[in-house]
Formats: sequence, C-alpha cells, structure tokens
Amino acid sequence: MSAEGFLTISDLNAGYGDARVLHGVNLSVGRGEICAILGPNGAGKTTLMRALSGMVWVRGSIGFDGADLARRSPDTIARRGVAHVPEGRGTFMPLTVEENLRLGAFTRRGRGTVEADLERIYTYFPVLKTRLRQVAGSLSGGEQQMLAIGRALMSRPRLLLLDEPSLGLAPLVTRELFRIVRTVNEQERTTVVVVEQNAHLALGIAQQAHVLESGRIVLSGTADRILQDEKVVQSYLGYRV
Amino acid sequence: MSERTNERGAFANAGSEPPGEDRTREPAKAADTPPRAGTPSRGRVLAPALARVTPGRRGWIAVAALLAVACYLPFQLVPFRVFQFTMVMVYAVALLGLNLLVGHAGQISLGHGAFFAVGAYTTAIMLDRWDLPHLATLPIAAAVAFALGLAFGLPAVRLRGLYLALVTLAIAIFLVPLLKRFESVTGGSMGLTLAKPAPPAWTGLAEDQWLYFLTLAVAVLAFLLAYGLLRSRVGRALHAVRDNEAAAEVMGVRLPFYKTLAFAWSAMFAGAAGCAYTWVIGFVSPDSFVVTLSITMLAGIVIGGLGSFSGPLLGGLFVMFVPSISQDVNDAAPGVIFGLLIIVVMYVAPTGLAGLAGRVTRSTKNILRKE
Repeated sequence: MSAEGFLTISDLNAGYGDARVLHGVNLSVGRGEICAILGPNGAGKTTLMRALSGMVWVRGSIGFDGADLARRSPDTIARRGVAHVPEGRGTFMPLTVEENLRLGAFTRRGRGTVEADLERIYTYFPVLKTRLRQVAGSLSGGEQQMLAIGRALMSRPRLLLLDEPSLGLAPLVTRELFRIVRTVNEQERTTVVVVEQNAHLALGIAQQAHVLESGRIVLSGTADRILQDEKVVQSYLGYRV
Repeated sequence: MSERTNERGAFANAGSEPPGEDRTREPAKAADTPPRAGTPSRGRVLAPALARVTPGRRGWIAVAALLAVACYLPFQLVPFRVFQFTMVMVYAVALLGLNLLVGHAGQISLGHGAFFAVGAYTTAIMLDRWDLPHLATLPIAAAVAFALGLAFGLPAVRLRGLYLALVTLAIAIFLVPLLKRFESVTGGSMGLTLAKPAPPAWTGLAEDQWLYFLTLAVAVLAFLLAYGLLRSRVGRALHAVRDNEAAAEVMGVRLPFYKTLAFAWSAMFAGAAGCAYTWVIGFVSPDSFVVTLSITMLAGIVIGGLGSFSGPLLGGLFVMFVPSISQDVNDAAPGVIFGLLIIVVMYVAPTGLAGLAGRVTRSTKNILRKE
C-alpha cells in the first residue's frame, strides 16, 4: 500500500436502501497510480465505484486529495475531479459522438480549452474523430467504450474510475483499451481505479490490486505479487494462469 | 442499418439542430474511409466538412421558406382560416414548451394546460384591471408562468414516471375550480371579455391579419429562444438527463436544478402561448382550460414529434385542424376521429410526424440517388 494516499478509503460501508453491500472497506491509492479491483460477481466492485462517485449511500470516509467525498452529491464529486465511466458505458445513445464528448466537459467552462481537449481525446482515440456526427447508439461496443472513456477524460479528471471496461468486448479491443488507459495514465498522471473481471489484463497495467469478496477486501498487494499467487488466482479470480 | 437505429437516428437528428437534416448518414460516409494516422485522406477532410455545412444551411433555407409562406398566407385566406392558423401558432408555442420538458428533458407533464391558462388569465386580468398595453402583458404572463413552473417543478426532482404524471395531472385538475372561485378577479365561471389588440393604421391590416402577425412574432421569438437554449450547454445537460440520469449526474449535471428549470421554461412558453391566446380570442373562461386541454397538448407533441423542432408545429396543425376537419364529416365525429388518428399515427410513426417526415425525406433521397 502506498505511503502517500491520494485516495484513502477507510471503513467504508455502502449499499442500496436496506441492503448493505460494502462492509468496512479500507484501501489507499497513491497519486498517479493504477489500482485494480478484482473479485467475483456480486462482490461489490461496482458498488465501490458508485460509492466513490456518490451514487449510493455511504458511511465511512473517502479522503480524496485532502477533502472528504463521502455523502457528497455526484455532481459535486464530479466537480472535484472524479470521472466515473459506469458499467455498461453510460453513453448518451441518441446524441452524437461530439455531443457526448462535449458533455464530458460539462463541469468546465471556456470554449478554447474544450476545443483543445477534444483534440487531445482524438489523439488517444483517433476513431472517434471519424465518427463525430454519428449518434453514439450506432457505434460498436468497443467504440462506445472509447467514447465513454474519452468523455470522462474531457473533464480533465484527477481520478478516473473505470467499471468493467472490457464488458462485452472482443479480447483484441479490450487489450487496445487497456493500452490506451496506460498511456493516459503515463502522460497525464491521472490516477485510475479500474474494476475488472479480466484480472490478467487489469494486473498487467496496475501497480496495486485489491481482491474484493462479499463486500470485504480479502487481499491487497502489488499487482505482481497477486498475479504470482496461484492460490489467489484460482480461488478468487476463477481460473488458472 | 436496422430499423431501430434508423429511428433513433431520426429522433436524435431532430433533437438539436434545425429541421430537415440527416445526421445518420453523413458519418456513415466518413466511416467508409478508414482513418489513417498522419495522412489525411480526402474522405476524412471532405465528409466532415460536408456534414458541418450543408445540413445546417439546408435547415435554415427550409425555415426561411416556411417564414415566407407564413407571411404570405394571411393575404390569401379568408379571415376564419387566418384565425385557425393563428391558433396553430398559439398551440405551437405551447407545444414548444412541452417539447422542451418531455422531448428534451425526458420528464412528463399532464398539467401543461394549467400553465397555458395561467398565461391566459394573467394577460386577461392585466388587460381587464389595469388596462395595460397588449405587448406589455407578454413578458409578464411569461414571467408569472415561469415562476409557477419553478414551484411546480420541485416535485419533479423527487418523482418520476407515473408518479410525476399524477402530480402534474393534479395541477390541471385543481386549476379550473380555482379559477371559478375568485370571481372578482377572474370573472368566475362567466370569464372575462377583453378588447383585442387593434391593428395600427399604418399597417393597413385587418384585425385577423394583425393578430396573425402578432402571434407569428411571438412564435418566431419563442422558437429562436428554444433553439438558442437547446444549442447551449444547458441544452446538452437536458439531453443528458433525458438519456441517462446516472451518467449525467456523474458528469457534474445537477439533476434537481436542471429538472426544475426544465419545468419553469416549459411553463414560460405555455404562459406566452396563453397570453397570445387571450389576445386572439379576447375571452377567457375556466371552461376553456379543462383537463383535456393538457392531455390534448401531450398528445399533440407526441404526435408532432418529441425532441424535434418541427414537432410543435406539426402537433399544432394536428390539434387545430383534425377536430375541425372531422367536424365537417359528422358532428359526433371529432372525438372519435381524433382518438383514432392518434392511434394510427403512433402505429405508423412511433417518432411522430416529424420522424415520419424525416424518414420520407431520407428514402426519397435514397431513391433519387440510385437513379
């Protein structure tokens, strides 16, 4: 675990209505790091992401760059520099690619910087530039995921939350996506928390990893160590390396 | 492309740009040329440029043509027809507001007629009590409706779907008895009779023509305002709320704020339409604003085409002319024909008349291109 906690979650409980999903989660992510959250279905990975962006009820504290994000509204958290790419992408289907991207910069004003950011996004995702006037609903799954990530980057986030970016995508596309996430992380020093079923891929780009099961963190460590721990891989991630 | 994508395309296309453009095909053209990093191919440069200039210009040409026809119309028709087209524009302005709320912000209102009535009565009372000049009543009626819309928009922050529909319906239900109550101000069930704005001598227009042009001015103003609103950052926020509330929220769109504001704006347009209504009819009574007015308006905008700019106009034409034309068929027919036509239109054109028009234009163009 990193000494300097850019994002420090302590004793976090979260859930929906009467149902508590997370039970006292503690974890810390350093500035500029990529942190992978792994675990089986129903472990609470998505709930953890939603807790971070204020979409579910939360008890405990979420320290983010000196502020506490717990119990803040989603739009306030977004303004603080947290960008959430939700599971299933959350692209605005009837809107065009460009409108989707511009919505990403909603928290910021100022035309010039938005135009510059659009260009910046196109360098990461050149395919989006060829689709600007197309409605998002007509994009392929991979392109939609690229759009969702590009849209999140439009807000110039300090923390990027990626929820299952590989969901329903071809392996080749997924690998490309993770390569781009890595590049963004390296070039912009954006801290990334990524929830992923495909543990191998996520561990490939992450420095730290945490395994979540039944709403609790059962294992934390460097990505390399978790990858080498064959027992872990078998019992928590469900396949042999 | 599948039927579904096509329709979604038509819907979105009509969403935020002038009517008569095709957004789904241009990018498909651009998509044909694979992007090659570094070397900008001809397709890459040309297609976006075409997509950017042509459809917008085409839309404005259509608008200009429509305006020209609209200015020509009152000199060619008998006064009763001129009156009917005036009412089409009154409804169009009200539907424009409803479209903002339902088509663009994805909320529902079964009480839009109440804000229309508020605009109409505010105007009537101002004319009746204080004898204000007609034009001065427009901003006041719009402002009063805006304020009330803001107040009644608050439930929308917490409610959605059926629950919101019910609350907005309640607004429409309690309004009529309320109007009958304060007889000294509202004229009770007898209503108020008012002087219509007189055409200035220099125009040389008859009264019906003058009313027509006044309403046309209100309509043009309202459409320009809505156009500007929807093209702005605010318009994008509304679309985001409509398409995916959760995603909108995590992008920093404050849901309560924009939902309430959508209600207030929609009420403002209804108020302005109500004001024009009072100018044109010269009479208001509670019976003109019964609950069915709100329902008819919702039907009008759904039939016209939600989320499109031509939708309110087409809806206005539908709401005005279908009952009056079917009356010529049979005295008992209007209700039946109106209802049946709603069903038929929804069946044939689920995206409304605007969506249907878009589809017809597209397929015609496709046929022409093949030949």
